[in-house]
Amino acid sequence: MTDDAKHTRERPAEPGDARILLPEQIRQGSIIHVRALLSHPMHTGLFRTAKGEPIPSHFVKHVSVTYGGEEVASFDWTSGVSRDPYVAFPLRATREAPLAITWTDNRGGVFRQSVDVKFG
Amino acid sequence: MHESAPLSRRSFVARAASGALALAALAAGATDALARAVRGAHPADDDEPPEQVRRVLEARFGKRPIRKGHVQLDIPSDAPDGRTVPLFIETDLPMTADDYVKGVHILVDHNPDIHLAEYRLTPALGAASIDTRIKMRRTSYVRAIVETSRGEVWYAASKVFVTLNGCG
Repeated sequence: MTDDAKHTRERPAEPGDARILLPEQIRQGSIIHVRALLSHPMHTGLFRTAKGEPIPSHFVKHVSVTYGGEEVASFDWTSGVSRDPYVAFPLRATREAPLAITWTDNRGGVFRQSVDVKFG
Repeated sequence: MHESAPLSRRSFVARAASGALALAALAAGATDALARAVRGAHPADDDEPPEQVRRVLEARFGKRPIRKGHVQLDIPSDAPDGRTVPLFIETDLPMTADDYVKGVHILVDHNPDIHLAEYRLTPALGAASIDTRIKMRRTSYVRAIVETSRGEVWYAASKVFVTLNGCG
């Protein structure tokens, strides 16, 4: 177990696992609910390990959402967003195209996930 | 001649305690009533932003009026764990090409970073809502502020009671 895991008494959050969830049935033109989840520690930099060593800040600061290659939303975050950041937002499904999300953290970590919006 | 039984020390203490309790309850009731009356008299003063929040708002929105309305903020009033407080922001404002919600902001009065997040939206979304989970250091007002493409600023605020510090 790492110091970090002891501190939080949970599994350590390794950044990287990214998921986008879309509804199973999508009608063309409807507004769908998009849910996105990234594994990330989102350290504020204000906590210490059990040994008293400071845990440096490590958090996602920018998120970009593209639909068919065009940016439809972008988010600026601080470390005030909870660990394993979750966000859900609406999207009008106008066409069959990939929906991609890119998360960028304050240490240069870039995490990307993409799903295809399909009608049926 | 019959004398009433002398009050034992134990029963005296018990009676005094129950009396004090009743008195305290009475006082608490009166305070509640007073608080309700004061809130009723000045409903707008409840979520008046403190100085440090006012500075953040002015840096973002200048001297524009920040009006209450058109924003719905769903957040629990009691958050035992400040590490993860779910919140949902929704608005009934239009989301058309020439009039749309371009920004949704989350502010927490007593967090290390008062301005917690900004969500820049476009009409392509078709609606404006954000669902997320935030950290809170302690009991504080949470503010959801929405900015339209025409420059209007609307808000909703809610006080959240926090037990466990989620920020450090």
